Amino acid sequence: MIRSSEELQRNSQQTDGNNPPSTLLLLAGVLALVFIALPIFYLFRLAIRSDGQTLSLLIFRAKTAEVIFTTISLATLVSLFATVFGVMLAWTLHNVKIPYSNLFRALVMIPIAIPSYIYAYCWLSLETLPRGYFSALIVLTLATTPYIILATFSAFARIDLAQLEIAQTLGNNPIQLFARIIFPQIKNTVLAGSLLIVLYVFSDFGAVSLLGVDTLTRAIQNTYQGSYDRSSAAVLAIILLLLSAVVIVRENLWRNESYQAKASTSITKAGKKYAEGKVRVLALTLIVGYILIALVLPMSLLVQRFFARERELDLYNIFNVTSSTILVSALGAVLAIAIAIPLALLTLTGSRLGKIAEWGVLIVHALPGIVMGLALVAFGSKFPFIYQTLMLLAIAYSILFLARSVGFISVSISRVPMNLVEISSTLGKNKRETFFRVILPLALPGILSGALLVFLSAMRELPATLMLRPTGFETLATEIWSSANIFRFSEAAPYALLLVIFSAIPAFLISRPDRRNSERGEIS
Amino acid sequence: MTSLEISELSVNFGSTQVLNNLSINVKSGDFAAILGPSGCGKTTLLRAIAGLVTPNSGAIRFDQKLVSVSSLVLPAHKRNVGYLPQEAGLFPHFTVGENVGFGLSIGNRKIKVSERNERIREMLDLVGLSELIDRKPHQLSGGQQTRVALARALAINPAIVLLDEPFSNLDYALRVDVSEEVIALLKKSKTTSLMVTHDREEALVSADIIALMSHGTIVQSGTPQSIYMGPRSAEIAQSTGDIVQISAQRRPDGTVVSVLHPQPAQFDTRGELGALLIRPEEIRIHDTDKNGSYQRATVSRVKYYGHDAMVELSLPRVGPPEQTPLLARVAGPVEYVVGETVYIEHHGPIRWVSKKVTDQ
Repeated sequence: MIRSSEELQRNSQQTDGNNPPSTLLLLAGVLALVFIALPIFYLFRLAIRSDGQTLSLLIFRAKTAEVIFTTISLATLVSLFATVFGVMLAWTLHNVKIPYSNLFRALVMIPIAIPSYIYAYCWLSLETLPRGYFSALIVLTLATTPYIILATFSAFARIDLAQLEIAQTLGNNPIQLFARIIFPQIKNTVLAGSLLIVLYVFSDFGAVSLLGVDTLTRAIQNTYQGSYDRSSAAVLAIILLLLSAVVIVRENLWRNESYQAKASTSITKAGKKYAEGKVRVLALTLIVGYILIALVLPMSLLVQRFFARERELDLYNIFNVTSSTILVSALGAVLAIAIAIPLALLTLTGSRLGKIAEWGVLIVHALPGIVMGLALVAFGSKFPFIYQTLMLLAIAYSILFLARSVGFISVSISRVPMNLVEISSTLGKNKRETFFRVILPLALPGILSGALLVFLSAMRELPATLMLRPTGFETLATEIWSSANIFRFSEAAPYALLLVIFSAIPAFLISRPDRRNSERGEIS
Repeated sequence: MTSLEISELSVNFGSTQVLNNLSINVKSGDFAAILGPSGCGKTTLLRAIAGLVTPNSGAIRFDQKLVSVSSLVLPAHKRNVGYLPQEAGLFPHFTVGENVGFGLSIGNRKIKVSERNERIREMLDLVGLSELIDRKPHQLSGGQQTRVALARALAINPAIVLLDEPFSNLDYALRVDVSEEVIALLKKSKTTSLMVTHDREEALVSADIIALMSHGTIVQSGTPQSIYMGPRSAEIAQSTGDIVQISAQRRPDGTVVSVLHPQPAQFDTRGELGALLIRPEEIRIHDTDKNGSYQRATVSRVKYYGHDAMVELSLPRVGPPEQTPLLARVAGPVEYVVGETVYIEHHGPIRWVSKKVTDQ
């Protein structure tokens, strides 16, 4: 959800752009930046504490190299498969005439609501499938394909139909159309999407740990838990952080290059669709196949496990776990908005600090949950009064999902028409009054959607929650993970069903094609 | 009641010079129109007066009081100007009443709730929309939105009202009505006003003074009549109405000779070459050459507009080729047909422009 600040500034300001941030904003922005930088600072401090010998042993031993290789290869392959698969599905849904196409469009998006560890849980609950690398490859591909579909849809939506029609009148056949008009315009968006999949796999902990694949996240967790060797874990976490940072920077470049201006306002709303019988059968097979495997199968497994349980439903615990999940996620969402508003405003000023804020948000966007967990453990050990409290967990959520709220907030603020801001100033209101009486009320819906997104992402967060939760405190995600880890599938089922239902809300919001947050293919 | 005085104002956006040493004075209570093509810097001028753009040099004075000079710029919220942008720009989250009262509640304008409500009523009465006080902006028509925006701008008792083509978004029929009404209100309240427009009729009809703007500077200003009748150049003449240019020569004694102004001695080598600017309505067409002083011409085209018509005429060539066709505006029904021979005379002031000016 990070957008190019240049574009937003173009939207929000007139050419004279002399709009330096106020002192209050500067102060709030610097505080927010310090807030998001502190955990990373403590993570580095923790890593530096490890002595040279252990460090070199850790970095240069074969096992570490193997873990890094597994991480990168798994991420690359998942991203490759998900991209090919996702583009195929999106192209089919967009270009082939099939019945109930709106329903299918919504259905292929719902898997976004299913966290990777629930897929892994379903995989294991079949009790016939093996664990291991290839299982993780399949599970993660199923879980990430909808993100590519989403990105491709948004790229398709930006292609001007008039361009296609002009190209047709100039004698291009369908293949030439795809190669010369469509592909160049969707390329960067799709590539940016595949890099986000790489990031997803880098930071995935639930699926790989349940399926027993040694990627960096699992290695960090094992090092931390097994030996309580926090410094070694921190070194691995920094390696993962650096890998993720490289990916997010590249992703950002591609996405910023992906913006295409429409040449004209096309009157035609929808292009011609392929309607030959054979093509349609093929298309339906592909779409229905994906929906069966990625949605119907796991959901029916969950339902089946739910009804096959041996013990009474522990309603008291379900209520307890759900309410504590909601409580801590809401806390995280409120905190995220409080940090996000000054940062969003700073990025919109285009000042130097704004640029720093933009990069800060970008980097924390790449932070894997486990790295954040470890960083806050390091932070919390210096400040014992906050360690093992809900507050620390809320802080983790607020930073982990900060980029999403900053994106929403800066977009909604930049959409407040500049002339309203100017009129307010000619009517005697200073910057602060204008912000509170004009900008904030108009941007409120966007700010609330940002908060909702943080809230729902926090509900399904697993690795940081595992590390930071107070003793005896469980969320839906940790309940599912603990039960599945010891093969108590039926006990996890009610929690998994609840979590999917909660997560389906943003998936539904995102999949609605008219929603503005799907305009540029952001993955949330 | 505030006069506006702008001297040598320059505004640059990066390396582009948008306003270039612009000077203009508007007397207290006058309604001034800035007329110019799009891109000439009109809107920037208004925004600089409002304090929304920081000038690079020059001074802006309200009643001799400096509000903007080089490094010293009064921020927009302290200038007390009423600003009507192209779109009405009503706050969508407030009702009509709240919009009108928006500027009334703070700082040095702190007033009681009852006073504020009274002022809102008063303003809405002024624009004739009292019954819409609780509506939201999206429930209003375009004309109503413009009038609410005016009420909002006037509610703060502004020193100066700035209008940036406020009627351009309205339908033609509505535009004439609303603009007449708004301008009448402003004149009645004797508020110094500055409106930018590219609609020459709107400027001619409404303004006390017109300033013509081109390439970031004011090229001529004066009453509508003086601007229309006494343009300094062909370009200026063109911006207030149709114009015909014919080659002419000015003798040392000051008399001017052209095809339409024959003198006993025809063109000779002494004298300066230039052009005459003629408004089409100053050309009179006759069927016969009564006293032998009219010029013979052939009708080459007739454009019929309903209330009047434009007759394009070709003349026997005398001097160098003309830059514009000769046009005559005739009222009412047109009985001329293409190819017909007619006799014409110029009945109006001699507007001589020398070669140097016409070449610009």
